[in-house]
Amino acid sequence: MIPTHILVGHDGSRDAETAFGDALDLAALARARLSVVAVASPPEPPAEVETQAAIDLATSHYERLFETLRRRAQEHHVPLQTYVLIGHPVDQILKAAAAHAADLIVVGHRGRSAIREWVSGSTSRRIVTHATCPVLVVRAR
Amino acid sequence: MTEVWLRAALWLGLALAATLLSIRLRVATALSEIVVGTVAQLLIGMTVGSGLLGTGEGWITFLSATGAVLLTFLAGAELDPVVLRSKWRETGVIGLVSFAAPFLGCAAFARFALGWTPQASWLAGVALSTTSVAVVYAVMLELGLNSTGFGKAVLGACFVTDLGTVIALGLLFAPFTARTAIFAGVTLVVVAVLPWAAPRFFRAYGGRPSELEAKFLLLVLFALGGLAAWAESEAVLPAYLIGMVLAGTVGKDHALVRRLRTVTFGLLTPFYFIRAGSFVSVPALVAAPTAVGGLLVAKLLTKTIGLWPVTRLFRYPKTEAAYATLLMSTGLTFGSISALFGLTHRIIDQAQYSYVMAAVIGSAVVPTLVANAFFVPRYLLPKAQTPALAGSLPQPVAAGDREG
Repeated sequence: MIPTHILVGHDGSRDAETAFGDALDLAALARARLSVVAVASPPEPPAEVETQAAIDLATSHYERLFETLRRRAQEHHVPLQTYVLIGHPVDQILKAAAAHAADLIVVGHRGRSAIREWVSGSTSRRIVTHATCPVLVVRAR
Repeated sequence: MTEVWLRAALWLGLALAATLLSIRLRVATALSEIVVGTVAQLLIGMTVGSGLLGTGEGWITFLSATGAVLLTFLAGAELDPVVLRSKWRETGVIGLVSFAAPFLGCAAFARFALGWTPQASWLAGVALSTTSVAVVYAVMLELGLNSTGFGKAVLGACFVTDLGTVIALGLLFAPFTARTAIFAGVTLVVVAVLPWAAPRFFRAYGGRPSELEAKFLLLVLFALGGLAAWAESEAVLPAYLIGMVLAGTVGKDHALVRRLRTVTFGLLTPFYFIRAGSFVSVPALVAAPTAVGGLLVAKLLTKTIGLWPVTRLFRYPKTEAAYATLLMSTGLTFGSISALFGLTHRIIDQAQYSYVMAAVIGSAVVPTLVANAFFVPRYLLPKAQTPALAGSLPQPVAAGDREG
């Protein structure tokens, strides 16, 4: 399968950075488009004023990260789109992939302990379970 | 003090466990705290003795009541006055019907089907008349519906519904003596003056590290809460009204709201929700599950009977009407506040409290599951081509839709 649109879930972590690097290489080889999605969590319970503040904060935070990613994408001549979404990471990445007809999702894997995964759940595992397109889970190297 | 510290550690330990559970199960923390409170009281009661949690201790009661008051104030402060003004007819009518239909219907069910006393039946009606703004907003935020006209109207109507609930709770069981008149009069004066006075006071003396704004708001809330208790009413009534009238000014100060939320949700509401959960009797629920199911069905049915025709009257298409009806059938915070008020004022007994609380918890989960499974008005979701990706977000969020 040669992907035409790759979507990367990015939370700014080291494993997400590795996943983006691999996705970029793949996109350059396949001449595919690349989208990067970062997801901010709303306050709980959510309130409009607080949510807007969280959105503003997340947007400014991720914009700095996205500047770096754009430069790297330009070097590889890969078209890149970036988005900051709000909600649950799994839901938002899956919705973004479906809405933009991504044919490959790339996410990092934190390699957390079994206890931590049991307590808070694994984002990558849930994406693999529920995605309707192929998913590449990349471990940090 | 040793006992107080250790007991506080136990409560915060339960709160932490409830938060981890809510993360794992992806449910509202408040819901998780109620359930943890119920289970903890059951297990501790069976093993160590039910006195260990100390739910009757004065300081726990105070923290719990303060949590309810601040929670109610923050809920009122989330109101969007612009939406309420621009869609006042729609939000007003839908919100009022959303309150009145289950209030009357559930009270009738409790009175005639369950054989409760008139006072207990009215209390059940109040507790099940609510709509959970937090649940509705969370669901809409996930889909991006909160920024649509439909979403704003439904959220506005939710505030009207809850206003009906707190007024009913504050006045229905009041004895209507001279004290009630004094309480109502002072509350009205404060509600009228505060939107003018508070912003000016904050501009003149606020913005300093001494947290003057928080102290001022707590002073007003405690003073009116005390007056409400003196008049045998309920402290959440003035708290919600004050929140609503300050929504357009103080409520927009997200730094102040952030600080209030930290103390409210980090310390106070866990005491409130765990305490509320600890009074739920599991044996009572096991003994009469049909009472719980009946109350939940009565709420859903009466909301539907009331809201479906009204939303259709305002020309909502069928999917939107069904979605709005189901979302407005949710309930959690004001339902639990009403039930706890009933228990502590001996309007309902522990078994009745348990049935009402279980029905309230059910209403926080069941309607949203059905709504999201079958009735999402997908045509309202922002288009995929827009930066807000499949309606996940309000427009300003997707700041980085650029070609690299």
